[in-house]
Amino acid sequence: MKNVMMIALVCCFLWACDQPMHTGRVDVPLRFSVAQMPLNLDPRYATDAASARLNRLIYQALVDFDAASRPVPKLAHWTSPNPLEYRFTLNAAPPPFHHQLPLTAEDVKATYDSLIGLKDSPHAAEFGHVASIELVDSHTLVFHLKQRDVHFPEKLIIGILPKDLILKRHDFSRAPVGNGPLQFVSWHNTLTFKRRQDDQVITLTEVRDPTVRVLKLLRGEVDLLQGDLPPELVAYLEKQPEITVKSSVGANFSYLGLNLQDAMLCNIKVRQALAHAIDRNAIIAQVMVKETRAASVILPPEHYAGNPALEAYVYDPQRARRLLQEAGISLPLKLVYKTSTDAQRVRLATILQAQMKPVGINLEIRSLDWGTFFDDVKHGQFQLFGLTWVGISTPEIYSKAFGSNQFPPHGFNRGHFVDPVLDSLLEKEEWTAATARINRQLPYIPLWYEGQFVAYAQGITGYAPKADGNWDDLAVITKSATISNYAH
Amino acid sequence: MMWLMRRFFELIIVIFGVLLMTFLLIHLVPGDPVEVMLGESASAADRVALRAELGLDRSLLHQFGTYLHKLAQGDFGQSIHSKMPVSTLLQLRYPATLKLALWSLLIGLCVGIPLGVYAALRAGRWQDLVVTIVSVRLSAMPAFWLGPMLMLLFAVWLGWLPVSGMGSGNAIILPAMTLGLGLSAILTRMTRTSLLEVLQDDFIRTARAKGLSERVVVLRHALRAALLPIITIVGLQMGSLLAGTVITETIFSWDGIGRLLVESIEKRDYPVTQACVLVVALSYVLVNLCTDLLYRLADPRVRG
Repeated sequence: MKNVMMIALVCCFLWACDQPMHTGRVDVPLRFSVAQMPLNLDPRYATDAASARLNRLIYQALVDFDAASRPVPKLAHWTSPNPLEYRFTLNAAPPPFHHQLPLTAEDVKATYDSLIGLKDSPHAAEFGHVASIELVDSHTLVFHLKQRDVHFPEKLIIGILPKDLILKRHDFSRAPVGNGPLQFVSWHNTLTFKRRQDDQVITLTEVRDPTVRVLKLLRGEVDLLQGDLPPELVAYLEKQPEITVKSSVGANFSYLGLNLQDAMLCNIKVRQALAHAIDRNAIIAQVMVKETRAASVILPPEHYAGNPALEAYVYDPQRARRLLQEAGISLPLKLVYKTSTDAQRVRLATILQAQMKPVGINLEIRSLDWGTFFDDVKHGQFQLFGLTWVGISTPEIYSKAFGSNQFPPHGFNRGHFVDPVLDSLLEKEEWTAATARINRQLPYIPLWYEGQFVAYAQGITGYAPKADGNWDDLAVITKSATISNYAH
Repeated sequence: MMWLMRRFFELIIVIFGVLLMTFLLIHLVPGDPVEVMLGESASAADRVALRAELGLDRSLLHQFGTYLHKLAQGDFGQSIHSKMPVSTLLQLRYPATLKLALWSLLIGLCVGIPLGVYAALRAGRWQDLVVTIVSVRLSAMPAFWLGPMLMLLFAVWLGWLPVSGMGSGNAIILPAMTLGLGLSAILTRMTRTSLLEVLQDDFIRTARAKGLSERVVVLRHALRAALLPIITIVGLQMGSLLAGTVITETIFSWDGIGRLLVESIEKRDYPVTQACVLVVALSYVLVNLCTDLLYRLADPRVRG
């Protein structure tokens, strides 16, 4: 009996394991593994990074950004005859929608009209000042504004939806139809697209655990990974001969947020002490991915509203301690630092704790689940917190984050920073002076712009990481016909 | 019959308690679905309108009453985020958890009981020591470590199985092994101890005195009696497995109810969280009810 059970067990196991190995052909899908699947593929609702990155490929917007983050025409070019009017003219022959209907100005109007009318869209508030959208002809439309907004074109980055499907209340969130290079096929456990230009099938699968994503790449179950790996796994992948890792500088800004209503943190010397107590270069060298660079202000130096002249605060523990003493703080200074439960965030928190201890700052770490943590941040229930601004492209962020009238829920000034001088500079859009003042006043303690990287299997070409982490190269990436699906 | 009715009554009380506790807790923890949905730049008017649309502006008592009323009609509500009916999400996710739980249980039983019998029959010898060491090690290995180790061995080095996912038929083996091996360790220890006790009983001595072979004595008489406490352990473990094994499901990208529950908590998707907890609680109490029934069938002493 015992022997029979053992034999049966072994037979079952071997049967299950006996799956044929097969090699890829040209129609084999290109498999992209992500840490989190897009939450909503309707551009009127999407807010998460994965949805935003994918929606750029499914849909096309009126406007895009150049390398310096200036708005440039995408589907349409524009003129502004007066500050309350923006006239957009579509390109001569925009790509048709995936269901083959042509894209016209009517679709653009229908998209923005529907967005403005939505009660539960996080983007609707951005267009609250649109008085009306006038359709001139099939290629031209005019946005009439209630109030002046020089940055209005920069907001027109919502993918255009087909009018006929909007009227039918089509579920774009799960079955998107746009006119971008990737055409939606299906979404079960895996999200599948077909590339319009060559019918290359591209699949996205969610693998939350970073170690498992790496194992799947090594095993040949996926072809491509981008971001969301701890640096030691990136370093491990770099040593694998069959894997290519490419890095580039990033634009996502990591910082320490401060509650300026706090009796100690409202003192600028304390904030300066914190800025000098952090050894950014050591952290970047030891626990960050390649191409991470120290930051001085939200937008990176290459941005048209960035400030290349600014330098990051240098690590100087003696100076930091002296600043605290000058501020009249009795040491040790006890501060509570809130962060999420993400492993890398917690690791960075413990490093900051260790670096601040010799200066005389006792950092108490509170690691909270994301919902609780972010709720605390939004409601000002913190002394210090760590966060990253992702995908920021417009200088409006300075006003939103630091404007004296931008406290939540109206803006993102969560630390309640008040500075009329800065308000005036931002009003006049004097970016160099404004960023210099932000850097001196330290409403945030700037940390770094995390580097971007991509890792892919042999036979993949035409993909490179981008500063904002977008996935635009999925429109051009190629996979060689000889790749083995099961590499090992 | 009275016993069964009493158990059903207890079940209803437990489920009501779970519903009430879940409802209160999820509304007490920080985080507002309206803010998650609309972002920080939404106007106050939009927030108020959406709150009213979702019924979140009513009192907690009213919200709970409405929830119970809908639930009684089989309506779990709609996901705040995906806008999909919650019942559809459960239909998509629960079978995956059930499948994984059953496979894990099968592995646990197939490995744990034979090993426990083997160890008991060689008690005090080196084979017993080896089985003890292995089972203690297995029960001490957390899924977040054992899972990747199994992946490394069977998927990356040997290339026999896929690392993770649900794409192929054999993808279930590694997650089921991760859960099943831990369960088998518990069952091995329990079977060994229980069998050793039973082997000392008078009826076993009688069976041996009658001249029955050792195989018949052990498998037909001793093991049958020794399995009674194991039914309880299996029932409790099955309940836990059906409750969704979040870590294993996450590591192996297994779209089960455990992952759905965690995702819904992160997004403050109240209807999904409530429905998941309800299904988990129902699974747990129903499995325990079945365990009690089985126990009564297997052991006449309990019926008395």
